[in-house]
Amino acid sequence: MEEELVNQCVRLWEEPLSHMARIREQGGRPVAYFCSYAPEEILHAAGLTPVRLLGSMRTITHADAHLQAYCCSVARTDLDMALAGELSFLEGAVFVQTCDTMMRLSDIWRRNTGFPFHGDLVLPVRMGEEISLPFMVREVGRFRRQVEEYLGSRLEDEALWESIRVYNRNRALAEEVYRLRSENPGLVDGLSAAAVLTAGFWMRKEEHNALLERFLEAAREGVPEGEPAAVQLLVTGSVCTTPDLYRLLRELGADVVDDDLCSGHRYFDCPVEDEGSPEEALAARLWRRVNCPSKHQSLEDRATRLVTQVKESGAEGVIFYLQSFCEPHLFDVPYLKRKLQEEAGVPSLVLETELQSFSRGQLRTRLQAFIETIAGV
Amino acid sequence: MNGNRERQEGDDRERRRIKSTAAMRDLMLKYYMEAKAAEGTEKKIAWITSGGPVEPLICFDVIPVYPENHGAMCGAAHMNVELCEVAEGMGFSRDLCSYARGDIGSAVTKGGPIGGLPRPDFLVCCNNICNTVLKWYEELSRFFGVPLYIYDTPFVRGPLPDHTRDFAVRQMEEYIAFLERMTGKEFDEHRFLDVAVKSFAAISLWAQILSCNTARPAPMTCFDAFILMAPIVTLRGTQEVVDFYEGLLREMRQRVEEGIGILPAERRRLLWDNIPIWYEMRNLGRLFMELETCLVADTYTNAWTFEGVDPERPLQSMAEAYTEVYLNINLERMSDRQVSLAEKFQVDGMVMHSNRSCKPYSLGQYDLAREFTRRTGLPVLIIEADHTDSRWYHRTEVEGRIRDFVENLL
Ligand code: SF4
Ligand code: SF4
Repeated sequence: MEEELVNQCVRLWEEPLSHMARIREQGGRPVAYFCSYAPEEILHAAGLTPVRLLGSMRTITHADAHLQAYCCSVARTDLDMALAGELSFLEGAVFVQTCDTMMRLSDIWRRNTGFPFHGDLVLPVRMGEEISLPFMVREVGRFRRQVEEYLGSRLEDEALWESIRVYNRNRALAEEVYRLRSENPGLVDGLSAAAVLTAGFWMRKEEHNALLERFLEAAREGVPEGEPAAVQLLVTGSVCTTPDLYRLLRELGADVVDDDLCSGHRYFDCPVEDEGSPEEALAARLWRRVNCPSKHQSLEDRATRLVTQVKESGAEGVIFYLQSFCEPHLFDVPYLKRKLQEEAGVPSLVLETELQSFSRGQLRTRLQAFIETIAGV
Repeated sequence: MNGNRERQEGDDRERRRIKSTAAMRDLMLKYYMEAKAAEGTEKKIAWITSGGPVEPLICFDVIPVYPENHGAMCGAAHMNVELCEVAEGMGFSRDLCSYARGDIGSAVTKGGPIGGLPRPDFLVCCNNICNTVLKWYEELSRFFGVPLYIYDTPFVRGPLPDHTRDFAVRQMEEYIAFLERMTGKEFDEHRFLDVAVKSFAAISLWAQILSCNTARPAPMTCFDAFILMAPIVTLRGTQEVVDFYEGLLREMRQRVEEGIGILPAERRRLLWDNIPIWYEMRNLGRLFMELETCLVADTYTNAWTFEGVDPERPLQSMAEAYTEVYLNINLERMSDRQVSLAEKFQVDGMVMHSNRSCKPYSLGQYDLAREFTRRTGLPVLIIEADHTDSRWYHRTEVEGRIRDFVENLL
């Protein structure tokens, strides 16, 4: 049962578009988002289904007329799919101000696609400091009104609280999956944990909660299948577009024991607390959750967190899985590498990828060499 | 005969030369010397981003130092690539902003034409030009072990929202309190007003200077403006800068009156978009002169002409002005500014520098180019380069494309 469920999720991860289209066919209203800072609860409460675009492995045909080649491939391939008409099932998209690329992509997307809804959430860079919280609250409120205007009706607070509960439940379940994995790597492996979490980007969260519950139940009853992988690693970076990295690692006798990815651990960090109005509560979560490198909390926050994660999970090495041209992530690499070596005593490997020229072979060679060093072969 | 013609040409060149450039060199030299001399003394030094609010620093007698201005200098001196390579050796990707890479390289090695910048006592980073400066200044803050103040200016889509304005104003107050802590001095409102008035005076002089280029022939090219803008970027808010720009404005007006153009002949006029290609200024200047084409205006130096600053409410209006700079607004508003520059300066087309390591300025240019042509009927040329990393530049190809473009104008 558990294995079948994981396989389904992996297939979904490889082919999310057809699934998103099915949501539409079944009467759902998919709205795309890109970034883990998107206020999904507001969309969800409005009866829309937030679906995530993570880029795709493809040759670019349309986006080159709008984005230079020195732009990250997540932005380029997502725009390419939209311009090629492959996302016609979408009702719209929501952009959040994180990096310079996303900031400009929002305008480019709005001007060149014809989706009925276009949402923007502007974020401060100073997170977790008292001075920026009032701005966040009002901006989340502005976003809520933008959605209300689009719907032509008010979003009731009660509906928002209900969506917040659904999302909090989802965060707690995801946390549980991750805990099970790091405590018992022989029971839940990296690919399974990542796949069951990732699948949730393309369904209503109620449905995903049920899926995670089924998975957890089955996993807890399972018996470890043989020994856990020889080398345990932590992956840090932006988004994981395909399950390939996890599969490759498995082939090479390694596994992912924890991650610090926008599409992984950073996505579900920190619940929405019951404080004030729904927009105050939502804003406060975005503002206090684990920092993305495009934001600022303190000079040390990312390194401290990463080092702690490495120590707690027992990872023996760290893989930086990054997009070429991604400034926020690439800037942090030298500092984080140094800290990992000095404070956690683990080596790290930087993998830069571009989805339009993704090379599994190259990835494999580099991973193999890295794993061999750690295993001391 | 020949000697005569040479003499005439020499006289003509002398007549066309902008005389105030010498005064600017002196001003900047003095500024850099003073800044370097202040290192290790009681005087405080702050590194600040080019779009950052500098007036409060001047008011607190802090010496502002601009890594971007220094980066331009390193680029023009063909020294930035080696500095970038130092940063790359430290693990910084070669796709990151070349100002940032060069600056990190220079901080580590003290390299560059002036032996590096004086060590900062603290840092001020304003993200109104890009998100890159946040990451860059975080690294500087770790490297030097000094405090970092982040003046956070959320992106503006459409009109400035109230909550963005409030956030900007509150931070102005907080910034002042930060400076009180850093300098141990109390905020002097009178002094601040004086600095603000001078800063606005310099900005408005600068706007008038740039406007002189509506004349035909244009008294300067935007390449001159790129160089002559150094004082407005670094020292606005001081009397010296006001004096300097008054002199420059007089010179420009006189040139217009006497019909002295910067080029021996001006047949075409173009608008420039993006940061200059610092290491190629000389070659490109020569090429455009040969093509009798004047780059009469640009979106970069015009970023320093913000309107609507109000001496009655200096903190507030300053906060607004810093939030709504050219790079912090949506494409439609950027397009409006491009079109209005084109109309005002009566150009025949636009050259866009697609700048490999500056994403906020470059992403969106393809759409802006189409929009520009749609709205003005004028052609656009997009050339590929990088502001200070010359390794990405293909001179023959770029110059060939510029020639073709200019020859096809009309
Ligand atoms: S954060 Fe990086 S990967 Fe994500 S959109 Fe921005 S540049 Fe691309
Ligand atoms: S990315 Fe662009 S705007 Fe930002 S510092 Fe570099 S050159 Fe300036």
